Amino acid sequence: MHPRAGASLSRRRFLALSAAGAATGTASLSGCAMQVSSGVGGGGETVTMMAKPDDISPELIRQARKDIGVKIVTVRYDITKLIGMMTNGAPPDLVRGVGATDAPYFAARDVMEDLDPYFARSTVLKSGDLDPVNDLWRYDGRTQGRGPRYGMAKDFSQDSMFWYNTALFDKAGVGHPPETEPVTYEEWLENAKRLTRRRNGQTIVFGGSYNGVLTPNLLASLTAAAGGNLFSDDFSRVDFTTPEARKALNWYIEYGRAKVGPSIVQPDPNTWDGPTFQANRMAMSNSGYWLGGLINSDKKLAPLSRLAPAPVFEGGQRVSPCQAGTGLWMPKKAKNKDAAWRVFEWFFGEGPARARASGGWGIPTLKSLRPLMPAQEDYQKRVLKVQNAELKHFSVIAFTPYASVDSLYALFNQEAPAAMKGHLSVDALAGRLNSVMNEQLKRGKEQVG
Amino acid sequence: MTVEQISVTGRSGPPAASTARPAPAERPKISMTGRRHRAFYLFTAPWIIGFLLLTIVPMAYALWLSFTTYDGISPHWRYVGLGNYTELFSDPQTWNSLGRTGLFALTSVPLSIIAGLGLAVLVNRPIKARGLFRTLLYLPAVVPPVGVGLTFKALFDQNSGAANGVVTLFGLDALGWLADPYARYVLLMSVLWAAGNVMIISLAGLQDVPRELHEAARIDGASAWRTFRSITVPLLSPVLLFQTVTGVIASVQTIMPLLLSPDGTTAGVTALPQSNYLYMMHVFSQYFALGRYGYASALLWVLFVLILIVTGLIFKFTSGVVFYNVDPEAKK
Repeated sequence: MHPRAGASLSRRRFLALSAAGAATGTASLSGCAMQVSSGVGGGGETVTMMAKPDDISPELIRQARKDIGVKIVTVRYDITKLIGMMTNGAPPDLVRGVGATDAPYFAARDVMEDLDPYFARSTVLKSGDLDPVNDLWRYDGRTQGRGPRYGMAKDFSQDSMFWYNTALFDKAGVGHPPETEPVTYEEWLENAKRLTRRRNGQTIVFGGSYNGVLTPNLLASLTAAAGGNLFSDDFSRVDFTTPEARKALNWYIEYGRAKVGPSIVQPDPNTWDGPTFQANRMAMSNSGYWLGGLINSDKKLAPLSRLAPAPVFEGGQRVSPCQAGTGLWMPKKAKNKDAAWRVFEWFFGEGPARARASGGWGIPTLKSLRPLMPAQEDYQKRVLKVQNAELKHFSVIAFTPYASVDSLYALFNQEAPAAMKGHLSVDALAGRLNSVMNEQLKRGKEQVG
Repeated sequence: MTVEQISVTGRSGPPAASTARPAPAERPKISMTGRRHRAFYLFTAPWIIGFLLLTIVPMAYALWLSFTTYDGISPHWRYVGLGNYTELFSDPQTWNSLGRTGLFALTSVPLSIIAGLGLAVLVNRPIKARGLFRTLLYLPAVVPPVGVGLTFKALFDQNSGAANGVVTLFGLDALGWLADPYARYVLLMSVLWAAGNVMIISLAGLQDVPRELHEAARIDGASAWRTFRSITVPLLSPVLLFQTVTGVIASVQTIMPLLLSPDGTTAGVTALPQSNYLYMMHVFSQYFALGRYGYASALLWVLFVLILIVTGLIFKFTSGVVFYNVDPEAKK
């Protein structure tokens, strides 16, 4: 039936037209989303990079335009937004990620571009020049550290090491940890208790912070240090009840109970150790070499600060893994892969990489850039010596592809506070963690197929 | 261009040409009802299109998601029928968080209405600098929730917050305000911080109360409290009902606990103090921390239905006590 000209709109027809309008609107919105990373803009190609503000500064973005003629448009890193963009078929051209945990997760879901062919023809990033830490970005469909390369780390640290403030040690009358031999985790915690200063229920000085990069990687690293594995061989399960994993869990819960440093039951409002360590309110900070970037820029703090090897468990083995390896990867459906690769080469092998290496914000991921690491001052030479000795103990601790690190972290946060407050035994906690984490891993395994 | 203008233009040509042309087809006349309908639909169209695009489509999408195991990225998701709904009702976290949310609504809504109404009564009095007080009291309500969260976190931090500065002045030990059992009070304070919203609406309602009624009550010897209870409150009842309904919906949907969380990361939501782990926190953790889009969508649909039921119950139980100041003949 055709409506008569001039007749009033019927409700049914109006709603039908509205629905059509809505559908058109949806399509337009989708179209807008698709244009995010489309080709050429202004004076050259445009590459969309999803990153955090600290990853790439506005100056660097301008520098990219000058150096390689590519305009970089940044989108603030947000996993939900990333998933939305990928679902729309319009992902960013480059995405920041934590190699240690994101590489197996995304590679197993087949959304990452295999970068082996790009590396093979690159004159900037040569395979022989890549530090072994970049293997965190490899995944063969089963195990991390093998198979195709899906990304690259911009710098790295051995994240079980710790920095300490000699002035706070001296003030508390605690002997300095040795710089070449590791202390045990038990000694570390004992020192932290002696270094903590409290007044009227407030913590004036934190004895030590030990939280790793993210708790699940920390627990996997601690378990490795105790001589075991947190994950089963096929990465489809965790087991906190093995003697090694239980030892690791017990230590971390003791750390939380002792309230010697930030934890989920005593969070640091700064959200990271840097400002508290810089304010001389933290005697030990479990941060790797990268914290030197902050420390070196503070002329008062730098001479007081020392780097120490990763602790060991009594009877355990000496391991000093990288828990992050943060860098970039390219989505399989990226629209501008060639330009994105040009940015990739520039970011990891040219000006920005040299600037990062000389700033002390982590160890360069290209062996050829190692000589640029800061070693002008005596304290810098001292730190570098400790770091170079520690590299002998570097290892990759593979992470599961079946769950995001955030999901395991959230489940730990859900269960662990009761144990840290003394309302739950470590054995009971281990059982609960096995239950909730294995349920999550099971769901993930089903979905990966 | 109007119909009249078209007619004038039609007459402006030379007479010969005018007579040679066939007579223009007469435009169908639109009845007054038709015009009204057209105007109604044209004016409401932006809202209706927005409603369809931004409410109905996402709700339908969420409903579809709620029958799947979709996580946004994995390739092998599947339909589970009512599986997510069955799981939801046997999940203790759902019930516990729902119970806390109900308690929070029962506490925060009356408190903010009482506080806002009290402030409205105060700034409705003929006092000096009344405009300034109204502005100052309303100002916190315009601070975005993120700003409120950051400010409260700084104020109530155990080691460096101003609140513990005051506590320790009295020789007491600092309190862990952002942890249990105090976190719930900080959350309530953050809600009361925005009582200016209730104040401004109540103030408008108060100014609508006829002055003659108050004067008559005063002549009859009624006390200020009696006047407030028997005249002001009944006349304000539609406003109070509105604030109750919107307050309950807002309190059920609040994400303020997340903004007060010392660990602002996605995974940090599950580390919230138990007392502040409300229903929306459970939804957030399932969506964004655990990536369970299907299950979280089911949680949201259940919340939607619950809000409808609660709103209906509020209307039902208040129908006898809400006084609508309208002409009863107007409907006829």
